[in-house]
Amino acid sequence: MNRETVIRVEDVSKCINRGRPNEVWPVRGVSLEIERAQCVVLKGPSGSGKTSLLSLIGCMSRPTEGRILLHGRDVAKLPERFLTEIRRNTFGFIFQQFNLIPGITVKENVMLPLYPTEMGLTEIKTRAERLMKKLRIYERRHFHVKGLSGGEQQRVAIARALINDPEIILADEPTAHLDTRLSVELIEILKGLREEGKTLVIATHDPLVYEQGFVDRVVEMRDGRVI
Amino acid sequence: MIKHLKILEFALSSLWRRKFKNLGLIVVFSLIIFTLSSIVFLTYSFKREAVAVLKDAPELIVQRLSAGRHEMMPVEYMKKIKDIPGVGKIVPRLWGYYYDISTGGNYTVMALREGLQDKISLMEGSFVVGSGSCVVGRGVADARFLDIGSIMPLIGADGNVRRFRVAGIFTDESNLLTNDLVIIGEKDFREVFRIPQSIATDIVVQIYNPTEVDNIARKIKEALPDTRPITRREILRTYDTLFDWRSGMVLTMFLGAILAFVILAWDKATGLSAEERHEIAILKAIGWETSDVMELKFWEGFIISSLSFLTGLIGGYLHIYFFGASIFSPALKGWSVIFPEFRLVPYINIYQIAVLLFFTVIPYMAATIVPSWKAAITDPDVVMRG
Repeated sequence: MNRETVIRVEDVSKCINRGRPNEVWPVRGVSLEIERAQCVVLKGPSGSGKTSLLSLIGCMSRPTEGRILLHGRDVAKLPERFLTEIRRNTFGFIFQQFNLIPGITVKENVMLPLYPTEMGLTEIKTRAERLMKKLRIYERRHFHVKGLSGGEQQRVAIARALINDPEIILADEPTAHLDTRLSVELIEILKGLREEGKTLVIATHDPLVYEQGFVDRVVEMRDGRVI
Repeated sequence: MIKHLKILEFALSSLWRRKFKNLGLIVVFSLIIFTLSSIVFLTYSFKREAVAVLKDAPELIVQRLSAGRHEMMPVEYMKKIKDIPGVGKIVPRLWGYYYDISTGGNYTVMALREGLQDKISLMEGSFVVGSGSCVVGRGVADARFLDIGSIMPLIGADGNVRRFRVAGIFTDESNLLTNDLVIIGEKDFREVFRIPQSIATDIVVQIYNPTEVDNIARKIKEALPDTRPITRREILRTYDTLFDWRSGMVLTMFLGAILAFVILAWDKATGLSAEERHEIAILKAIGWETSDVMELKFWEGFIISSLSFLTGLIGGYLHIYFFGASIFSPALKGWSVIFPEFRLVPYINIYQIAVLLFFTVIPYMAATIVPSWKAAITDPDVVMRG
């Protein structure tokens, strides 16, 4: 079945500290295409450039060279304001370290991405509650995230990533801080998202993830390049 | 609108999360504003009071000097002043200071003269001051527990005690003029202080044309070289300078505290903690724009600084106008003033409040927003790296 290409990466490179003694190229000459509703895993050891490539795809940084096209539109050259809008409307991020705000509750963390929008608070709360129930963290909604287990925090992070109903989910080492049982739980959630028609891009070196049947493609990376 | 309200709500939540740090900052900031506003209110009130008091003061007072010090004046000097064109009524004044051993207070004793009754109003009693009677200010009455009909003793220059029946007490509204005032008859005054008929303390000169005051003062000085003509404008300028100098002195005393706060606020505002920087990066990563983050930080800075400003300002207002300015009043009024208090009339100068706001709230907010902006424009990519 021919699916629409949602993300096209064309010969993208990223340089950090350019011209300085500590110059680094975490991504070099990477090209790839990702289709709608596909699940693509970026596989490779630590330092292979998976996280950096994920960051570039998710408009969290700009490539030094090359283009990144989102629905045919070159996002690399867009002003910061437009990039933020794309991040908010198109992508849902699940970070390796969860990156939840410690001093606020589960519910507030989940709602946070929609605060700077014109959506009413009631609607935001309704969405948040629906997601928390789906991910089985509703009973913890008034807890501060500091008091949650790793698995619970991961589910809060997923709920936050889904609150804006994104088209594309980016997950960076989602099973890094989970034991096997919780990893399996997480994989089920990702599988469910894939079945809903979401496009998934997962950076991982965990075989539990990349050996799953719902993974459409595995892109191997080493030293910033696709091999 | 909804978006701004939600960001405001998150700002409040954010402040509450760091409540102890922010509370400490508010307390110190408020104290600084309290100090500054108290000094501003008190200085301005004294100046306004001085202007109000001097509104009815004579245009010109002539005093005699000897070796630079004020001396009693021969009444015959009036003849030479009368000859100067433009001079109206000339009235010799008799007044002096009396130290009351029993209360430790200094009173201003004045002989009743023509026209004085029109300028000061009584609260109770009568202004009829015959031999053996007096009219006193509220401060004197309170210090000596005097009422209408009470006896006010004065020890004369000859060591004898003379008793005066209190015929009247001045009103509270005239307190600045009359608080430490005792008025007795001219004959009694000369007896108490042993001043002969040919002598007066100074001379009050009425000028027909106010624009000629300086001119006439100059002519008096030429005609009577050992005198010092004092215009009303000069007195006002002296009070202005005096209160400015005193308020500056008090401010200098608190300079250390003010500087400590500036350093604290600068340190707090310019050096975002790692936690705050990380939080900003998370917000950017999940879709907050730089402007949204700036608005958040604006609200945080605004809430802290405006809450502190209002608390300090209201505290300063209450301190000055309801609690008698007990902390700073002695420094600004001076220690030669009789200790009974008088109530200041609230005067608020919007311009001075605006200046205070400009030099406290605005710099604090700038110091909060600028480092936040620097963090907000950083790529959120740093969040991905943990």
